[in-house]
Amino acid sequence: MEILQLIANGVMAGSILAVPAIGLTAMYAVLRFPNFAIASHATAGAFAGWTANALFGLPILPSLLVALLVGGLIGLVTDEFVLKPFRKAGFITTAIGSLALTIGLENVVRLFYGNDLRGYDLPLARDIVVAGIHVGPQQLHNIAISVAIMALVFGFLTFTRMGKAMRAVADNPQLADIKGIDARTVGRIVSFMGMGLAGIGGMLIGLDSSIDPMTGFRAMLPIFAAAVVGGLGSVPGAVVGALVVGIAEELSLLALPASYKSSIAFLAILVILTLRPQGILGREGN
Amino acid sequence: MNRRSFLAGTACLTASLGAPAVLRAQGSVLKLGVLTPLTGAGSQDGPRMLKAMQAVVDEVNKAGGVLGRQVALIVEDDQTNPEAAVRAAQKLVGVDGVPVIMGTWASAVTSAVAPVCWESKTALMTVSGADSITQLPHQGYIFRTQPTTTLQATKHAEYIASTGAKKVYYLAVQTPFAVPMKDIMANVLSGNGASMVGGLVYEPSKTSYRSEIDRALAAKPDMIYLNSYSPDVTVLLKDLFRAGYTGGRLTQSYAYNTKVAESLPAEVTDGLVNVQPSSDIDSAAFSLAQKRLGLEAPDSYEAQATDWASLALLAIEKAKKATGTDIRDNVRAISQGGGTKVGSAVEGLKLLREGKDVNYDGVSGPCDFNEKGDIIDCRFRYGLAKGAKIELIKVV
Repeated sequence: MEILQLIANGVMAGSILAVPAIGLTAMYAVLRFPNFAIASHATAGAFAGWTANALFGLPILPSLLVALLVGGLIGLVTDEFVLKPFRKAGFITTAIGSLALTIGLENVVRLFYGNDLRGYDLPLARDIVVAGIHVGPQQLHNIAISVAIMALVFGFLTFTRMGKAMRAVADNPQLADIKGIDARTVGRIVSFMGMGLAGIGGMLIGLDSSIDPMTGFRAMLPIFAAAVVGGLGSVPGAVVGALVVGIAEELSLLALPASYKSSIAFLAILVILTLRPQGILGREGN
Repeated sequence: MNRRSFLAGTACLTASLGAPAVLRAQGSVLKLGVLTPLTGAGSQDGPRMLKAMQAVVDEVNKAGGVLGRQVALIVEDDQTNPEAAVRAAQKLVGVDGVPVIMGTWASAVTSAVAPVCWESKTALMTVSGADSITQLPHQGYIFRTQPTTTLQATKHAEYIASTGAKKVYYLAVQTPFAVPMKDIMANVLSGNGASMVGGLVYEPSKTSYRSEIDRALAAKPDMIYLNSYSPDVTVLLKDLFRAGYTGGRLTQSYAYNTKVAESLPAEVTDGLVNVQPSSDIDSAAFSLAQKRLGLEAPDSYEAQATDWASLALLAIEKAKKATGTDIRDNVRAISQGGGTKVGSAVEGLKLLREGKDVNYDGVSGPCDFNEKGDIIDCRFRYGLAKGAKIELIKVV
């Protein structure tokens, strides 16, 4: 029974991780570098959502939209003016630049909001017990929101012209260029979408706990692990990776002391890079 | 500026660098180091401790400074992170040449910074509670105004037993004092008709602790001791509420402070007890600190910070020199013994200049240290969470 409960907890944690992990992996697919600034954008989104919810009294769903827009807009602007100039200098430089950006932005959030913990204006409900497994109503909402967002992202990538263009650039930038797809526009849209998802992810994490300027930074390792395990550049892979990392972290309690939980994310990265470097659903060369 | 005057200026500057250090130091500002968490898990307390130290320094400067010199605090952020703290400490010691570093908060940070201090003969004043800190070979350079883990664990366990709780679960964040504290509490509880039914040390800063809470509740405790920092305690309290736990909860005041209280609904926090080493609320030093800081009740951290700055400055005045070793050798001479009792640095400095002996009794308590650098006695204040407020239960 304990195993089932741990798996349930892992699914819930993983489904929240999946949202920013999709953002990270989508940006990697198109822009070809791991954008670690996702941490600060998740924090910025969480605080934007908090401002909408706790200060302006908006309900959760419109607040999530604010988190998406603010996360996305900051992503668009910072990519255009901060990270784009790095890209010419190569993959490693851009990744390091994104780390610097995340620290900078985190401190901008700290400048405006301070270090205090903040909670969303949200009634807290006791868990419901189904067949001996207890889950929180808020967690079920969070899962529903995550699934809806995933469905929207898949729909966007599969059915819309821009979504197809994005996949084309991800598959083969030269060929996409010959076909007349403007890689710069695609880059801007993926930055907006990826960081918007990070913003929502930050707020979803906060809904379940509380937020402070470190919220995104703390989640960065599992988000990165989810994207790598699933296969960097693969959107369905990010979802699978997030669930694998989420469930593995919880199940680790059976065998390891609780203080080693984070090592699971590192272990998952190590195992995957050793056995299947392209990730569970990634393709060779990614 | 023409080339000739530039060369002349450079020559003068170079020559002055060759002059004996003592010539240059005369009348210069006396620098004291502050290394405290302005960011990270300790960021709720660090800025307030800094403010309290600054207030003492301002007061002393207004009254003429120490050894005829104005005092300045050189402030570094330890980020509640041992690695960042060591870099900052090396800067304070190597670049600024401070004789004392004040303000480390997390035990892991203090343990990391301590060797930098004793190797450079710099005094270190801290609030960290882990017993292991003063057991380091620190040659007397560490002064701790916070009660040791042993003292805290014993008093907390006695309090828990006095509430009638029988089955206590220990849930702690990974720190140097997490495991020793559990063992001490288990001993004291079993001697007082209660027992520890289990314990779990978790990793800090996770976004959810549901599985850890499930583990704890499986032991069916009627009291859970949350030995945590505030970001985690917020998550833990929510998860305990969701899981339907209705028993007692006790935590440290640095984990459950008014900021955390405001970020959580009352139904989640009501009934929680928080504990902190108590300021000496009846002392003269306490009422002076109230005025100096403009606060109704300076808490234990503001109290201890006030005492570090005061102790360091008094020790420097007593020694007539401002090195770390002078501070080490003179703190006990001004904080314990038969001198005139004083409650502020300004008061003490005046008497020391007149050649009298002083015994500084601080805001946090008598500030009497044993040979290891630990304070000898301290009182504890228990508070009850009600709404977004914390009501006093008692000070014992």
